[in-house]
Amino acid sequence: MKRIALYLVLFAGAVVSVAPYLMTLNSAFKEPAQVLTTPAWEPALPVTFDNLAQVWSDYDMAGFLMHSLVYAGAVTAGQVVFSTMAAYAFGRMSFPGRDALFWGYLATMMVPQIVTLVPLFLIMREFGLIDTYLGLILPTAFGTPYGIFLVRQYFRTIPVDLESAARIDGAGTLTVLVRVLLPLSRPILATLATITFITTWNTLLWPLIVTNGDAIRVVTLGISALKGQHSSQYHLILAAAALALLPLVVIFLLFQRHIVRSIALTGLK
Amino acid sequence: MIDNISYDRSLQGHRRVEHRLAARVRVVAEAYALLAPSLVGFLLFLVAPIFGVAALSLFDWNLMGAPSFVGLDNYRELAADPEVWRAVLNTIYYVVLNIPAQTVLALLLAVALNRRMRGGKVLRVVFVLPWMAMPVALGIIWSWVFDPRYGVVNQLLGTVGIDGPNWLTDPAWAMPVIASVNVWQYTGYTMLILLAGLQAIPHTLYEAAAIDGTTPVQRFFMITLPLLRPSLFFVLVTNMIGSFQIFDTVFVMTQGGPGGATDVLNFHIYQQGFQLFRSGYASALAMVLFALILLVTAVQFLYFRKRTVYDFS
Repeated sequence: MKRIALYLVLFAGAVVSVAPYLMTLNSAFKEPAQVLTTPAWEPALPVTFDNLAQVWSDYDMAGFLMHSLVYAGAVTAGQVVFSTMAAYAFGRMSFPGRDALFWGYLATMMVPQIVTLVPLFLIMREFGLIDTYLGLILPTAFGTPYGIFLVRQYFRTIPVDLESAARIDGAGTLTVLVRVLLPLSRPILATLATITFITTWNTLLWPLIVTNGDAIRVVTLGISALKGQHSSQYHLILAAAALALLPLVVIFLLFQRHIVRSIALTGLK
Repeated sequence: MIDNISYDRSLQGHRRVEHRLAARVRVVAEAYALLAPSLVGFLLFLVAPIFGVAALSLFDWNLMGAPSFVGLDNYRELAADPEVWRAVLNTIYYVVLNIPAQTVLALLLAVALNRRMRGGKVLRVVFVLPWMAMPVALGIIWSWVFDPRYGVVNQLLGTVGIDGPNWLTDPAWAMPVIASVNVWQYTGYTMLILLAGLQAIPHTLYEAAAIDGTTPVQRFFMITLPLLRPSLFFVLVTNMIGSFQIFDTVFVMTQGGPGGATDVLNFHIYQQGFQLFRSGYASALAMVLFALILLVTAVQFLYFRKRTVYDFS
């Protein structure tokens, strides 16, 4: 009896977790009139691709997705490379100012993002980077304190002996990092890349401030503008939302093992 | 002769020191070379803007022409502005709707999942699915789900004969609806962190307590909750810092409306800074949000530090 109640609670939670995704996908394939006249849980019959085709052709969905891909891809690449470099310095080398600097990095994790936005906008304007990929990418491309912390903690679990052996064989710092540590750190790097990509893909506020035209409009801006114009045309905006979520679902399903483990780890430090 | 030898020795010693010093200098140089990119980003795009915003909050500037120094005028103005107070209260209201619901639900699910069971691993993945969703897309989906005529919520309520409200245009309901997006999105994430904390509690404690004749409820309050404190602390601090910065869903779903009922601080700052171009005033508002977050975090630190910490490692 108790077991049944337990499973019921968990099952209800699971249904609530996936229902919004499924209902959105379902409605994206319904005919426009049916989106309004049939309940959300009624399956799309007949299936139509018209809504997806319409947002794809009437709006620059391909462009939105492309711009977001460049933005999130570049930030992810920068984050992985530069966070790894910094993590090695913080985790494995001793140099004056290390601990103070590391605590400085950590302390900024408490600073709300909006605090930095007005000055960041001014910096980008000064450099003439408004409405450019560089302006979009630069603030987060050099590695974030979160990323550095995550990789540093992982590096510290790798035995130092492995490194010393390579050093005795005459390997320099860069060789040790690339040949010894990185192959052992694949899980954490995959995790960091996944989380960074998802977070950047989902970002609204910074693109909203630093871009203003169609040239590099990212998908968050694209679909929120669509919602502003056609707030009651659910067949369109739900199809657009489904397209914006699709890459996330794919990435999540590919890397879910890493994500689940890394979230579990964050609380334990 | 003797002098020569000692001279030689000291020279060798000198060389050795020099050599060691050179190696040390090289390590430090290498460390800073590895650190250089992140340090540039850190100083230019994080530290400089933090000082910049503090300085800017003392100026009046519409982004054109020269900024004029006004001292604490921006702070005086915001303290006297009823819209700012409403935004502060709205933000706190949002956090209060959000954090307890999300934490209690997550704790229930974590306790339920903390055992060997079929499909446990799959369930964990399913519960984390909402975490990755794009808040902007969720804003669109939730606007539809809570649409008074075409939304699934009122359709469901209709099947049991309840006439649902006009959720997002009703000042009393708009904020709870927006908070529900966040509860949906982060309950599974919070659950996973708490579950990891639960799994670190030794089984022997429960067995010993069971032998002593305690009830499951007693064990929950006397063993589980106290020992879960570090995980709960982490979850509360980080989720609260995040919740104070709610923006995306408000931007997509209500634009602060109806009648300012969902005008939260972050949205108010955005409007002042980037729609009305009052960068000095927006900077002062940003400092207020920063102070609010620091205050709440400090209170949590003090509260949790007072209690005993258990260590089984």
